[in-house]
Amino acid sequence: MKAVILAAGKGDNLRPFTDTRPNPMISVAGKYLFDHSLDLLQKAGINDIFVVVGHQKEKLIEQVGEHVHNGLNLQYVEQKRAGGIGDAVLKVKDKILPGEYFLLIYGDIVTAENIFTKTQQSFHAFKGPVASICLPPSNEMFGNVFLNANMNITKIIEKPKGDNLGNYVLSGVYILPESFFGLLEKNGRSMEKAIKALVKDEGLRASMWEDEWMDVVYPWEILRANKIIMDSWEHSKISKTVTLEANVTVSGTVHIEDDVIIKAGAVLEGPCSIGKGCYIGNNSLLRSYTALGDNCSVGYGVELKNCVVQKNSHIGRLSFIGDSVLGENVDIGAGTMTVNRQLDWSTIKVKHQKKVKDTGILKLGAFIGDDVVIGAGNSIEPGTIVPPGKVLPAHYSVPNK
Amino acid sequence: MCGITGAVGLKDISNVLFDGIRNLEYRGYDSCGVALMNGKSIVVKKNVGGVGDVYQKENILRHSSHLGIAHTRWATHGQVTRNNTHPFLSCDNNFAVIHNGIISNHLELKNRLQKEGHRFLSETDTEVIPHLLENAYKKTGNVEASLLLTLKQLEGTFAVAFISNYEPDQLYCAKRESPLMLGIGDEVKFIGSDFNAFIDHTKNAVIIDDDEYAIVSKDGYTVKNFVTMEEVDKPIMRIEWDSETSKKGGYPHYMLKEIYEQPQTVLNAMEVEEGTIDCLVEMIHKSKNTQLVGVGTTYYVTMYANYIFSSLAGRYIPAISSDEFVSLSPADKDSFVLAASQSGETYDTISALKHAQSRGAKTGAIVNVMGSTLSRMVDCPVLQGSGPEICVISTKAALAQMILLTRTALKLGVKNKNLTQKKYDGYMESLKSLPGIIEGILNERSGFIHRIAHSHRNVKHWLYLGRGMYYPIALESALKMKEVAYVHAEGMPCGFLKHGTLAMIDSDINSIVFVPPSSEKALYESTLASVAEIRARDGYVLGIHFEERNRNQSLFSEELILPPVPPVIAPLIQMVIAQLLAYFTATSLKRNVDKPRSLAKSVTVG
Repeated sequence: MKAVILAAGKGDNLRPFTDTRPNPMISVAGKYLFDHSLDLLQKAGINDIFVVVGHQKEKLIEQVGEHVHNGLNLQYVEQKRAGGIGDAVLKVKDKILPGEYFLLIYGDIVTAENIFTKTQQSFHAFKGPVASICLPPSNEMFGNVFLNANMNITKIIEKPKGDNLGNYVLSGVYILPESFFGLLEKNGRSMEKAIKALVKDEGLRASMWEDEWMDVVYPWEILRANKIIMDSWEHSKISKTVTLEANVTVSGTVHIEDDVIIKAGAVLEGPCSIGKGCYIGNNSLLRSYTALGDNCSVGYGVELKNCVVQKNSHIGRLSFIGDSVLGENVDIGAGTMTVNRQLDWSTIKVKHQKKVKDTGILKLGAFIGDDVVIGAGNSIEPGTIVPPGKVLPAHYSVPNK
Repeated sequence: MCGITGAVGLKDISNVLFDGIRNLEYRGYDSCGVALMNGKSIVVKKNVGGVGDVYQKENILRHSSHLGIAHTRWATHGQVTRNNTHPFLSCDNNFAVIHNGIISNHLELKNRLQKEGHRFLSETDTEVIPHLLENAYKKTGNVEASLLLTLKQLEGTFAVAFISNYEPDQLYCAKRESPLMLGIGDEVKFIGSDFNAFIDHTKNAVIIDDDEYAIVSKDGYTVKNFVTMEEVDKPIMRIEWDSETSKKGGYPHYMLKEIYEQPQTVLNAMEVEEGTIDCLVEMIHKSKNTQLVGVGTTYYVTMYANYIFSSLAGRYIPAISSDEFVSLSPADKDSFVLAASQSGETYDTISALKHAQSRGAKTGAIVNVMGSTLSRMVDCPVLQGSGPEICVISTKAALAQMILLTRTALKLGVKNKNLTQKKYDGYMESLKSLPGIIEGILNERSGFIHRIAHSHRNVKHWLYLGRGMYYPIALESALKMKEVAYVHAEGMPCGFLKHGTLAMIDSDINSIVFVPPSSEKALYESTLASVAEIRARDGYVLGIHFEERNRNQSLFSEELILPPVPPVIAPLIQMVIAQLLAYFTATSLKRNVDKPRSLAKSVTVG
């Protein structure tokens, strides 16, 4: 079966990280979301994959190139103008043969177990169109897919109204017939309307997904995606080219890639992942759910906790980075502190897309875009978003006047 | 629903046939039979019981054969007897037939065949087929032509398969509406109601469509359309999944599947014939005293009925746990003892009824498996018609039993003038609204219940509290939590709290309170008073209630608000909520939901 990954969207809600990359090129637990999906697809026996690219397409096209050699037949298709999900799906219309079924995947969903295998099993059992459904992790996302006992979807309500309603939602994985393109065209290229038409005309069966699932919508959800994947690790993996100096303590599951240098006295509390060529300074403490991208450096005595750092970033000595996400090429000066809770332990609110959003989370640090430079001695308020390329001067208590 | 399978191969296929029919047992398991080609004659072995039982009883694996068919039955109408079990033979023993579906014109066919001198041994519709084949063969002298001639006469739905000693190396099958497919292995070729019949042996399948028939031999198969008579080129499908997944129909677990089947189960229970219910009503009415028995979930079902009989029929009918029955029961020749059991094979319940019978009592039973020991031993059996329940934890079968007992209580109420006909009609209307309401709950609240279950998955102790008929619901719901999630949960009447149990309340113990609708004023208010007692001690309370949010604001720690419903079905809806809560707690804790530890589907040991 052919698969289609939708990766063209702008993902405005994931700013500042999507200012400079498409959603699937965010790295969690040491891998791009895109690569996590490809791994699962390959394990599900799917080798022919089309990727619809658009927003910031160059990064994805480059990544597609990386995969061509490992047995996958991977091609990209371009959505030149932003035109919604239905429009993106129509871009692969000529790739699917009449009568053929294909697997459609939204590029920003994260599961630890193989949701694609499960959806295919349901497809084989039902021999007709299938939508994977799941129970979302938070109330806010509740939609409402109505089922009958035979798993036929009878009705879909996007945003149910009323007290504690909430049920299964569409999880962004479908197996659809080629004829679905016709439904999209008939329904003004609207995915929502075409799916409803499918429910009405041909019928759509549900495949229940009960394991962890999430749709990475907001920047702080990157941390949860990171956790979901790390929690599924069963073994540690340490490359044979890693240098571990004396008195380095490792506990829990860790993934440490090639050519990493870990200096004496460092403590790693798994699960955490350290990308290729990273440098971890003396006496630093990497607590659980820390993920460092390739070629990062961590100075002396730094504490990292539940944070996701993209590649080529630098964290200066004696800093604390916790419950935070850092982009690429971020340069953090010595002694920087991401404060991660309010004095009164109230939930952290983030000013995001000109609105203040309550995350419902008690401990949350900062979200720092690509190429940001932060001078030494800064402390950053909980829930701060720093846009890409911003330079924050150092903070001196005794300025040199 | 029935299961059919067949196999033909180079070597002995009796073992693979056994695997196939056992794998189809989920489609039904009250009786089973096989027909094997033995040299040039057909051997038929069949009996009442599950596949394993019948194979053992009839010593079927002793027979070796290269060709055979097998059938497992789930009776919905008619008796479960050896005579009614498939396969059926023609008078001359040259054709053996199995069938799934309904031959709608079987009565006229049977009349005609009987006039022609054919002898019928069963009450089934299927038996006309072997006789039609025999007639047709006399005319045509060709098996395939006989099949075509027979199919022309059949109306209704069928997946039918047969073997004939005129063609001892071939399997014949045909389909209209009922499911049928072929399995194409290297050494053995199969037919089956679904993939499960052969998935352990081959993953290559050919789906037979409506109006098609197939002839299968050890070397190959041909498929033709019996309307157009043209040969059909069928692609081989490769099946990439295990048999468990397909049997669950896309659900992650049988338990969830069966919870979702409850609207249908209730409908089926509402459609159980009046006459059957009248038999129970008559028995209870005539008896000097009646006792209800059940054990585990069915004990709570009968306890619920105890309240229902008191409130609707004005008659006190105690429930006794089957295992305690001998110590407690006053049964004598003027008594009636009514049991509830899904399998009809529960050891403790059978013992209780035997004890009652030995004292001369009359007996009745509500069971789901027709032909089971209980259904055969009692004077007044009621078949609840809930379909096979595979998950070890009972959900839909228990709900159906509650419906049937409520119907009995309502009729008894009218009979002893406790209820007017108008009131009875009102209650019946309420019961009829239940399937739609359950469907609404499942489709609109599952996510919310999942979130509650997930966030409280690490709670070690739960108190389940209710008053009146909500008390047995609390007990049953607590049992669900214990048996599937392995979490300590204790059902209790609210009134017990202030007699000592309140001492237990602290932040480590959570409570669930089943709150009646406010139209049940006294019950409602006293239940809320108990909630206040717990809240005053900083205990967590999850309230399941029917009132709008603002009325009970801040009374509960968390609440699940249900749409307003008639009081007679309110507790049943809350029970469905509690089933989901137990299910999601179990999946959050990664329990073996369908086969929880230390429990068997029917406890047949003492």
